[in-house]
Amino acid sequence: MNNITIGQYIPGDSWLHRLDPRIKLFSLVALLVGTFIIPISTELTAIIPMVAIFIGMMILTTSSGIPLKKVINGLRPIVFLLTFTFFIQLFFISGGTLLASFDFHLSVTSILAIILLIIFYHWSKKYIKARILYFLLITFLVFFVQYLLPYINLYSYTLNIYDEGLMRAGFIFVRITNVIIMTSLLTFTTMTTDLNYAIESLLKPLKWIKVPVDVIAMMLSLTLRYIPTLLGETEKIMKAQASRGVDFKESKFKDKVIQIISLLIPVFVISFKRAEDLGNAMEVRGYVIGAKRTKVDEYNIGLSDVLSVIVVLLILGAIIATRVL
Amino acid sequence: MGIQFEDVSYAYKGFKVNYDAIGHISFDIKPNDEFIAIVGHTGSGKSTLVQHMNALLLPSKGHVVIFGHVLPPKKSEKINYLRQKVGLVFQFPEYQLFEETILKDIMFGPKNFKSTEQEAMEKAKRAAQKVGIDENLYEQSPFRISGGQMRRVAVAGILAMEPDILVLDEPTRGLDPQGRKDLMAIFQDIHEKEHKTIIMITHDMDLVAQYAKRVMVLDNGTLVYDGPKERLFEHPHFEEFHLDMPTPLKILKHLEKEIGLPYKPHYDYPSLLQYLKEVSHE
Repeated sequence: MNNITIGQYIPGDSWLHRLDPRIKLFSLVALLVGTFIIPISTELTAIIPMVAIFIGMMILTTSSGIPLKKVINGLRPIVFLLTFTFFIQLFFISGGTLLASFDFHLSVTSILAIILLIIFYHWSKKYIKARILYFLLITFLVFFVQYLLPYINLYSYTLNIYDEGLMRAGFIFVRITNVIIMTSLLTFTTMTTDLNYAIESLLKPLKWIKVPVDVIAMMLSLTLRYIPTLLGETEKIMKAQASRGVDFKESKFKDKVIQIISLLIPVFVISFKRAEDLGNAMEVRGYVIGAKRTKVDEYNIGLSDVLSVIVVLLILGAIIATRVL
Repeated sequence: MGIQFEDVSYAYKGFKVNYDAIGHISFDIKPNDEFIAIVGHTGSGKSTLVQHMNALLLPSKGHVVIFGHVLPPKKSEKINYLRQKVGLVFQFPEYQLFEETILKDIMFGPKNFKSTEQEAMEKAKRAAQKVGIDENLYEQSPFRISGGQMRRVAVAGILAMEPDILVLDEPTRGLDPQGRKDLMAIFQDIHEKEHKTIIMITHDMDLVAQYAKRVMVLDNGTLVYDGPKERLFEHPHFEEFHLDMPTPLKILKHLEKEIGLPYKPHYDYPSLLQYLKEVSHE
């Protein structure tokens, strides 16, 4: 638990790192909106901007000095979702010209083979380095087996792959990938404190309708600040309870429940104590809710910031234009 | 038997680099009749060292042998039972309390080590008695009592497991002088009556002088001194350990310098007073 890092900030000195956090956050929101209003269709007006955004993201990644591997790793949690949507699109969209057609069989032999494959996957995945590729390979094999083993057949179905289905599947795939890359680029190049400042200043207009933006921002930054502290405390309590015989690895499920309580209650007590101390310390140093405060870091909008906003707005405008026209 | 360290090193894993906490430490601890104080600066690796003694941390290099069990263990070897043999009391142990009643909290340890409800209850009551927790407190919530009492309950929670060796990480930290005295008396009692080995981290050199028999000095993750306390305080290069002299010795040294009183080491106030009386009668 020692090496949990909060946020994913990777230190660097590229222009993307130096960009004003407010501009970065605004650009992210604008680009996200842009990505989502591109219609899912097989027309060129939709495909060109989507691919262009993807290429743009790749250029941004290389120019920011973030290793591409890190960005791709960000896709890891949603590989399953990606694969799932890809296949749904492939199966259910029928339109355009037929590209290929396969007869799949759910038979005793193929179901058995699939079960064996899944068991083998779960056993072997800890030894494999390229897990994403491995997962895709196994998914492919699951279907291939259904094609290969029709013996003692129970149920057959046909998979017709149409060009439109394939296009749409690819389109959604690229869209989700784009979204993930964009958001991870922001978190990779911006410190949590900067991000917090950006959120605060972009939410400022909400003050007009009496939303306590500065309080929310303070809460947010305190929460982020205290995550590592509480993790440290949790680790200490875990060790202390381990000394009293709690074993989170070697015990049965029934005992685990009590053991988790033995961890939760002390952590709860400590966090309340911390909150109280912090509240007092802030008050002693003159923190008043809603009072005007100054900042240690000043942020200035530079030329590159203005240019970025213009470029982003142009992209968004172009996408809206293709949509409307 | 007992605890052996054989050229033990431990490094905390960082983002890219590893941080060496302790390096090349070897020593032997007998399971009986030892009272060891571990001293050293903040960050010298004391806590890391004692966490090896009940297998909470496993050495990066070298071996730790706890009651014949060699660590790091082979795969799928159970090491949990070692924590019953070596009881470790953490810093500020009162934070580990969680049960509804004090007695239940003390019973938590023995119950984890396969004691029946009845046995655990008996062990808990015995431990509570040792640390001086009154019987009418048994059914109270552990969050409703004073800090000093909470600490005693937490210590009782470890004692109830009936460990062979007791390891204490700054047991008196944050206590008032009286509380410190009372708690140390409890440990001294356990040491004398049950002949159990006690290992204690502390910054208080007076406690070292008064209670410990053997002292280990850690500096920057290495063991720079390991031996009887008498030899430590008379060590020709004592200043190099960056430690404070215990108050009785300071007084004696001062008197030697100012009025030429012959220096004779006395490690606690009663014997110091006795000595001064003897000298003044002559």
